[in-house]
Amino acid sequence: MASVIVTTAKARELKEGGVIAIDVRGTPVAIANVGGTFYAFDDTCTHEQCSLAEGDLDGTTIACMCHGAEFDVRTGKVLAPPAPAPIKVYPIRINGDSLEIEI
Amino acid sequence: MKDSVHVIIGASLAGATAAITLREEGARGRVILIGAEAELPYERPPLSKAYLRGETPFEHAPIRPAAFYADHSIETMLGSRVTKVDSDAKAVEVDDGIRVPFDTLLIATGVRNRHIVIPGADLEGIYSLRTVRDADRIRAEMVSGRRAVVVGMGFIGSEVAASLRHANVEVVAIDPAMTPLFRVLGEPVGHRIADLHQKHGVRTIFEDTVRAFEGADRVRAVVTARGMRIECDFVVVGIGVEPVVDLLGGSRIHVENGVVVDEYCRTSVDGIYAAGDVANHYHPVFNRRIRVEHWHNAIRQAAVAARNMLGKRVPYDEVHWFWSDQYDVNLQYAGYHTAAEEIIVRGSLAGDSFLACYVNEGRVDAALAFNRGKDLRRVMPLIKSRRAIRLDDLRNETVDLRSLAAA
Repeated sequence: MASVIVTTAKARELKEGGVIAIDVRGTPVAIANVGGTFYAFDDTCTHEQCSLAEGDLDGTTIACMCHGAEFDVRTGKVLAPPAPAPIKVYPIRINGDSLEIEI
Repeated sequence: MKDSVHVIIGASLAGATAAITLREEGARGRVILIGAEAELPYERPPLSKAYLRGETPFEHAPIRPAAFYADHSIETMLGSRVTKVDSDAKAVEVDDGIRVPFDTLLIATGVRNRHIVIPGADLEGIYSLRTVRDADRIRAEMVSGRRAVVVGMGFIGSEVAASLRHANVEVVAIDPAMTPLFRVLGEPVGHRIADLHQKHGVRTIFEDTVRAFEGADRVRAVVTARGMRIECDFVVVGIGVEPVVDLLGGSRIHVENGVVVDEYCRTSVDGIYAAGDVANHYHPVFNRRIRVEHWHNAIRQAAVAARNMLGKRVPYDEVHWFWSDQYDVNLQYAGYHTAAEEIIVRGSLAGDSFLACYVNEGRVDAALAFNRGKDLRRVMPLIKSRRAIRLDDLRNETVDLRSLAAA
């Protein structure tokens, strides 16, 4: 699949420690602001498909609020079960007032 | 020094987690995982929910892929029931006559379903749920328009009732208490759960018990103590569990409501540990013994037990936590309480999302989240801290619960 770059202005306003979900052509993608560095990853938990952006971000760890699975937002790695698989992460960069995510 | 032999009884979530942790922590000797079921260790939570509804295949449920065990030199003995633990000679006996010596032993035998002892209990069409085989038998009965009676509205009964309704099975649910989940959640929250089931079409009968099952070969009706007769096509019974400890008869292992262990998961016999549903463990946060029959405890306590089996000294002091999904509602409970002086609610009990905090002497002992997992995770450090707080802060939704735990 060809990679596409989407630009989002809304996420640029995300404060440190915050996480939001945006829709990228039908795929929910979460964006987290960890100390001024942005990370983009699949918003959908691999366990029971809850939105990860609904949970809390603690450092670089996002916790799913439904069943407690935890992921590293930098790599997508599972840090705590019951998630059976990692989440996808996407390259993201700041471009002026926007964020660009490569999907 | 020769390498130790670690034996684990129970190829379950707790048993598998202990085996995995032993290897992660560098155990060099043999790790032998003995299980009564034929399957490799698998996740049980889906059995009453997504698996029962036919939404996820069993292939999604293994705790680790089959190759993992060989790759990590974890020996599995499946379909093997341990009949005896010889705590003096340090060996377990398996029902096919094999004797397995150990240096350290973990008892993770879990619990078995309590049987209902009433006339007709041996009729066809009456099920309980613990294993994937049980779930398959219930699934085979779940045809739209059929009529089921669910006996017992604890977590299993409640989740099964929800899954049955999802399949458009007619459901009558019977429980001796005033509400579903009454023993754990108490009255106001219990009423909210009753309301949830009723709104999804479950006919509920509370404060009544089942006196008999009727039918020739197969169950055709359920008769209650108060004299109701409910015709049905099948029955699912979920009336609680009992710890599996019969194999410990004659051993020196102290048994009282399960296997008694300290905060290091140690039994009364050196080198023998217990974890998971079977372990009646001393919990330093609540300063009492607790036995917990939930997923999170199985996984976390077993990991601690494994570390201690390797000579470390790690206490198990996590706040207990569990979830239950029913219909479109995600319930989560954390902490431990038996009674509460006061229940403080964030949000509204009648609404679609709230957090109910069970409070004694100004301290939050436990909390129940109804579609509010984020608040539940935020209140857990407060529960663990045992701090007394201003209850108004708990009610006030603008106060971040995470701030209340800070000293």
